[in-house]
Amino acid sequence: MTGILELRGVSQAYRLGRRSPFVTASYLQVLSNVDFAVRTGQAVGLVGESGAGKTTMTRILTGLERPQTGQVLFDGKDLWEMNAVERLEFRRNLGVVMQNPRSSLDPRMPVGSSLLEPLRSLGIDCDHVARVNEVIEQVGMASSVLGRYPHEFSGGQLQRIAIARALMTRPIVLIADEPVSALDVSIQAQVLNLLMDLVTDLNLALMLVAHDLSVVAYATSRVSVLAAGEIVETGQPLELFSRPKSKATQDLVAAVLTMEAGLAGRGLD
Amino acid sequence: MRLNVSLIIGAILTFCAISIAVVSTFWLPYNPNLPNIPNRLLAAGSAEHWLGTDVLGRDIISQLMVGARTSIVVGAGGATISLVLGAIMGLIAAASGKIVDETISRVADIMLSIPGMVTALVLAATLGSGALTTIFALTAFFTPSFTRVARSAALSVLQEDFITAAQLYGRGRMPRVARHVFPNIAGVLIVQFTLYFAAGILTEAGLSYLGVGVTRPGISWGLMLSEAQNQVGVSSPLAMWPGLSIVIVVLGLNLMGDGLRDVLDPKLSKSIL
Repeated sequence: MTGILELRGVSQAYRLGRRSPFVTASYLQVLSNVDFAVRTGQAVGLVGESGAGKTTMTRILTGLERPQTGQVLFDGKDLWEMNAVERLEFRRNLGVVMQNPRSSLDPRMPVGSSLLEPLRSLGIDCDHVARVNEVIEQVGMASSVLGRYPHEFSGGQLQRIAIARALMTRPIVLIADEPVSALDVSIQAQVLNLLMDLVTDLNLALMLVAHDLSVVAYATSRVSVLAAGEIVETGQPLELFSRPKSKATQDLVAAVLTMEAGLAGRGLD
Repeated sequence: MRLNVSLIIGAILTFCAISIAVVSTFWLPYNPNLPNIPNRLLAAGSAEHWLGTDVLGRDIISQLMVGARTSIVVGAGGATISLVLGAIMGLIAAASGKIVDETISRVADIMLSIPGMVTALVLAATLGSGALTTIFALTAFFTPSFTRVARSAALSVLQEDFITAAQLYGRGRMPRVARHVFPNIAGVLIVQFTLYFAAGILTEAGLSYLGVGVTRPGISWGLMLSEAQNQVGVSSPLAMWPGLSIVIVVLGLNLMGDGLRDVLDPKLSKSIL
């Protein structure tokens, strides 16, 4: 399994608080020997219930957290052995979209300034204004919105702006951590369609994290199921839906089916 | 469109007080320290002394004008120094590791546990009373509070996703604090500043009243109150004028703080001005 961004044998545990200095410290194992890869031009999904370790895995993949064991490889190079120039290159090539669009943009900055931030911070030499206008149009918004502040937008619009910011540096990998879970159901499909279009148009490697199997099944071509810190199953979404092997996948599928059956029963399908 | 009445009234009152203080630096109706015994204890409304004179015949308006200058310089000075020191310490505590955070927080706790009046009396005893000593005392009272406010506000902002986003696109820790955290806590600090400015004026008046603040030839509203207390039965307005001045300025600053709290919230600002 090779990809542009990979986890190899990654484990992570957090030390729990001790009640007294005479008690041995205990650890919470969050990830156990995880292998995972994101490939160029492909959308992969990571799904799991709350507490499965998705956020920790995302933090490790984006370099926010160092794993206790295992490697994080970007283009074959270990993230934690990179020099400053390579690390800067990694940051330029990685775009991240977060769960809550309201919290992911600085409320004191007009959205145009928020979009410029990655270019300024990473010292990217290009026509910044032209790039901002290009990207905001890429996500389906007019450049007239650039002077407005985050509180003037709806959740769906803000998520589009957050996606635009993630694209500013022309990344080759886009990680979307629960990008639609905070959005209205009617907006979710629009944002997912936008992400899918971007993967095709820009030949991106997309990692879509969600707790809802139907979201990743809709937008990705390969899904890994994370349960209690382990990847328990990987496959095509349809295959996972129709023949779930692990208990965790069965539970996730049942959750979707139960909701659909419930809606059908109430005449709301 | 809704007008912020608190802010407008507060700003007008504060502006008037500051203007009077500024005018007092280059023009006064009379020398506020020069006794004029034949004109002692004139009632308000006399042609030459509109608010009357005190027991030594000194003009009340002139004394109130110099008192405004003292109150504003001491209140604003103490609050400004505390704001700067407290904001820096609070931001460092919030953005640094556990050891630095714990050290700064515990030092602030210890300083807050010492009664402010005791600090002021000790400072007055060692440095001598006066406006500068009062500013030192106010800085000692207020800095720990500003540190706490800045730290807790910064900790809350540091939890936001836009801080993580800034980290992801390569902003270092201190640039993140300067670009994203400080602008987001500035509103809270400005509101806090106006409230502590008012508290500084009250504290200065209290210290001067007790004789450990400003003393003659300096003039403050607290000192005027202290000097007027023996005349309360004889000429009650003598105590009323400095008291009323303190109430008006403190009210103005508090109203302005309340108004600014609304205006500086980016979610509310559009509907207010």
